[in-house]
Amino acid sequence: MNEERLLELVPLAALGALDGEERAAFEVALATNPALQRELASYQELVGRLGLATDPVQPSSAARDRLLSVTRPSASRRSWLVPALAAGLVAALSGLLLVRSEWDAARREAAAQRAAAQEAHATAQKAQAEAAALRESLASEVAFRELVSHPETRVASLAGLAAAPGARARVVWHPGRREAVLVASGLAPAPAGKAYELWIIAKAAPVPAGVFQVDAQGRVVFRLPAGLEFAGVRTFAVTVEPEGGTTAPTGAMVLAGAVS
Amino acid sequence: MASAQAAALIRRLTRGDHKALGEFYDLYSGLVNGLAIRILRDRAEAEDTVQEVFVQVWQQAARFDPSRGTPEAWLCTMARTRALDRLRKRSSRREEPEQSHAGSAAPRTEEAIAVRKALDGLPSDQRKALELAYYEGLTQSEIAERLREPLGTVKTRIRTAMIRLRGVLGPSS
Repeated sequence: MNEERLLELVPLAALGALDGEERAAFEVALATNPALQRELASYQELVGRLGLATDPVQPSSAARDRLLSVTRPSASRRSWLVPALAAGLVAALSGLLLVRSEWDAARREAAAQRAAAQEAHATAQKAQAEAAALRESLASEVAFRELVSHPETRVASLAGLAAAPGARARVVWHPGRREAVLVASGLAPAPAGKAYELWIIAKAAPVPAGVFQVDAQGRVVFRLPAGLEFAGVRTFAVTVEPEGGTTAPTGAMVLAGAVS
Repeated sequence: MASAQAAALIRRLTRGDHKALGEFYDLYSGLVNGLAIRILRDRAEAEDTVQEVFVQVWQQAARFDPSRGTPEAWLCTMARTRALDRLRKRSSRREEPEQSHAGSAAPRTEEAIAVRKALDGLPSDQRKALELAYYEGLTQSEIAERLREPLGTVKTRIRTAMIRLRGVLGPSS
């Protein structure tokens, strides 16, 4: 995507209104484009100011008391260091209303995890069929099956971009254990001397997440190197790179997907 | 002006001055609550959002960067993000929320009046698309579906509206 097209997306990105491939492509470009980052920051500030158009409505006086009691410094400051504990403390101190909302949040979280696990299981079944048919990469398949059995496992879908419109892929990862597997299909075998490279994009520059090749049918089940950092991941992307891999993306992007 | 007072309060907050939190809250809880009500249309949920935002202010005052905008913009961004998170997590999301009547009184500061005027000055089709993104957190495709308009039309409307707002409102003071 060229610079002009990217800049056109900035107002929509600042509102959080981008979706699909455009969002993924924008975030990939954003990670390495300071001019785009500045333009986005400027529009995000404008988005913030738009909130001033709404008329102020005073909250109840009980809300003020609750805030000041929850944040009172005599409460253990140390536990603020751990966000999870902090959330628990807020709930404990701020009355039934917050307890209920925290509980609801936990319940929704559990439901989301169940949904993610179900999706992961569905993905696993599909991937198992693919992997069995291919009879390749047994270690990856075992790792994948093992991985998707965990409720914390997350899944992202990657769509083929203009360079590989028929391609699709999924990345399944366990953030805590830092293990992940990519399942892709519809990719043409990489040209001689080239390979596909996967990137993890969080807030900073894209981080290389392994080099892989596809089989004659354009498929692969690829186990990512262990120990990669998935915290804050927003986008996964695949580019065509020299066989040995690179430290920053240089070639055409074939797959990208935003993490929801 | 309020922003200078706010900047001084934020400096006290970064030093852990708990009294400053109460003063900061008195200045801005109405702003945060008003925006949360506009998005959530539920007073109890809006007050929970206010609580979360000001706990975050207390914990992360040091992260406020005046070069990136005013305290009001910072607070509105936090309020909108958290309120939209709650909206998305609602199991039974209302398709066509009822019109809020909270927005009948005039906004108070000069800047608030300017923002309101700039929004009122947008052509109604641009404003409608922008509001669906801003207050309902819809993506461009969802807005196109809701308005039954082509995606390209929706994107152009929102982009045009934002460029116009930036032109009218300029960089933050």
